Amino acid sequence: MTRALRALIVATAALVGITACGSSNDNASKGGAENVKLTFWTHTHPPMIELNKKLISEYEAKHPNVKIAYEQIPNTEFATKMLTALSNGSGPDIINMDDVALRGEYIPKNLLAPMDAAAASKAEAAYVPGTLDGAKGSDGKLYGLPTEFNATAFAINKKHFEDAGLDPSKPPATWAEVATMGEKLVAAGHEGFNFLYLHSGWYTQQLQTLLNETGGSILTPDGTKSALAQPQSVQALQIWNDLIRKDKVGNADTASREATVPFDDFASGRRSMTMIYPWAVAQLKADNPDVYKQMEVVPLPQVDPAKPTGRWYGYYMAVNKASKHQAEAWKFIQFVTSEHDRWLTDVNFVQPVVGWENSPAAKADVPFLNVWAKAYSEGKFDEVAPHYSEIQDEIKSAVERTIFDGQAPAASLQEASKAIDQILAG
Amino acid sequence: MARAARNRTGLAFALPALALFALFAVYPMLRVVYLSLFDYNLTSPGRYVGLENYRFLIHDARFHAAFGASIFYVVAAYVPAVLLALLIALGLNTRMRGSGLVRLLYFAPVATSWVAVSVIWRLVLHPEGALNRTLGLHVNWLSSSGSARWAVALTAVWKEVGFFVIIFLAGLQNVPRELHEAASLDGAGAVTRLRYITLPLIKPVTAVVAVMAVIRGFQSFSAQVVLTDGSFGTEVVNLFIYKTAFANARMGRASAVAVMMFALLALVTLAQLRVFRRTDR
Repeated sequence: MTRALRALIVATAALVGITACGSSNDNASKGGAENVKLTFWTHTHPPMIELNKKLISEYEAKHPNVKIAYEQIPNTEFATKMLTALSNGSGPDIINMDDVALRGEYIPKNLLAPMDAAAASKAEAAYVPGTLDGAKGSDGKLYGLPTEFNATAFAINKKHFEDAGLDPSKPPATWAEVATMGEKLVAAGHEGFNFLYLHSGWYTQQLQTLLNETGGSILTPDGTKSALAQPQSVQALQIWNDLIRKDKVGNADTASREATVPFDDFASGRRSMTMIYPWAVAQLKADNPDVYKQMEVVPLPQVDPAKPTGRWYGYYMAVNKASKHQAEAWKFIQFVTSEHDRWLTDVNFVQPVVGWENSPAAKADVPFLNVWAKAYSEGKFDEVAPHYSEIQDEIKSAVERTIFDGQAPAASLQEASKAIDQILAG
Repeated sequence: MARAARNRTGLAFALPALALFALFAVYPMLRVVYLSLFDYNLTSPGRYVGLENYRFLIHDARFHAAFGASIFYVVAAYVPAVLLALLIALGLNTRMRGSGLVRLLYFAPVATSWVAVSVIWRLVLHPEGALNRTLGLHVNWLSSSGSARWAVALTAVWKEVGFFVIIFLAGLQNVPRELHEAASLDGAGAVTRLRYITLPLIKPVTAVVAVMAVIRGFQSFSAQVVLTDGSFGTEVVNLFIYKTAFANARMGRASAVAVMMFALLALVTLAQLRVFRRTDR
């Protein structure tokens, strides 16, 4: 009896202890607010990761009841890991995702929590019209705020131009000029120009850039069929094909295929010209300061310089619909995305708030500001469709058949169209 | 009575292992069969579609290509690997000095992970890599439909030979030396002894090797991911299943492929074992 009584006392004491621990974990710390642990996932981009970590510690210092677990996932695995995690309930509270995935997969599948109407309306007023469309659903609701918003431009290596007897102040304005200048750069011992051969997303975005210029399209306007076999779409792949296979301004076989350092060939000083995005400038500067000094960012070459166009894409922070801390998650997102100047100065990420290009931070810290400001004024978001990742796979295969195996662009895109029609059918 | 008690004790000891096997092997397999009847995208409840996933796959060009890539890989990688392994095992089945070290060297690639091996071979197979430089070639091994499949097969031969060498060696060391000595006294040459003594006596080992070669070939995944990401005709069935399930979120369709491959491999294995049993008589 005595032993049983002793055991009961010990058990009760243990229970009280556990309960006390539990309550200190769940309830208020100093200010009485509930303790919250948020999880936050992004892809890998070193300057972005550094700033995110700083912002997290600042936010945690201001909100002692909030702890944020920040995880970075390699770009090539990001979509797969996110989708799998969301399916088994282990997904993060806060998602940083590109607009194609948001519009193509996450919003239609009802995986995200929309911003409340008042906050969304405030955001609409603060950002350049159209730039939040990358995180809008067909219901018109806003599902994310941008951490970065990208337009496409072109980078040249001025020293390579001088080596080849070209004038760096007269960069190529058309793809035809990329070909002629590229041939001279090759003759001077450099790789003139090349596209990037990374994963299917990269293949698709580069083809989309050319499609925007030729007036082609991946899908028909109603989104139910492929439009890749149409003449203007074929023209886009023809440009790619002619540059690499006919004019031989670059070698696709020896191009770097490392998606974590996409601009490695340009950064290493091997390649003379490349398409480029604002975020890549900071990475390039960090990777090779010497090449950075030789670099000039110029407008994207055009099929028709009289009607310039480009491609927009963005990464948005969004909230998992299954999150138990949606309000806290949105508060954190609003904090992170309100630091416009630091995103510009530390990472070269443009957040398209109205007048961003006139801010002192932009003027002081954004190299090639005029080029970027122009690029931001003439782009459009990518097309999306159900099962878009499969469509991207087909586009990658089509480009590879043409560029690496030599199949004619029309035949290759015809084959891709057939496969895409089947994907869209179910 | 005593026997029944013994059986019960045995069963009790086996029960934890059987329970784990049922939970982690049998249940997932049955679950895959069940899922193959649904249209399930990971994030929404599945919709029952009967045999629709199977019907789709029968007409799907990408699945046909993946199946063809797997067959090519099994034949192009494992037939040479097994033949080469047999030759090497015959050569190593002696009591020469240092044969232990040589065996260890052959086994080293087997002990290395597929990913590490593939990363090494990606460098070797680069257009400016060691293979082209050594042989004076200009082949784009990993970026052309004409050569990528062969390049992946070549990598697999290098990686897998050692595994089969060890199995063949174990079989060869069980062949009684007296038989070889007696045959030599009767005037039988090396080829005759190989044909009439060695090969018949290692037939059970050869059967195991053949079955394992087919299974390992169809399980291939990492080499294709690292070397080509499935481009240029190297998207084998396992990679197709992975992309269908996790990148494209078509879990039901991926499950249907898995079920079909399980059935096919079971049939092929049974056929192989039957062939070896028949020739054994």
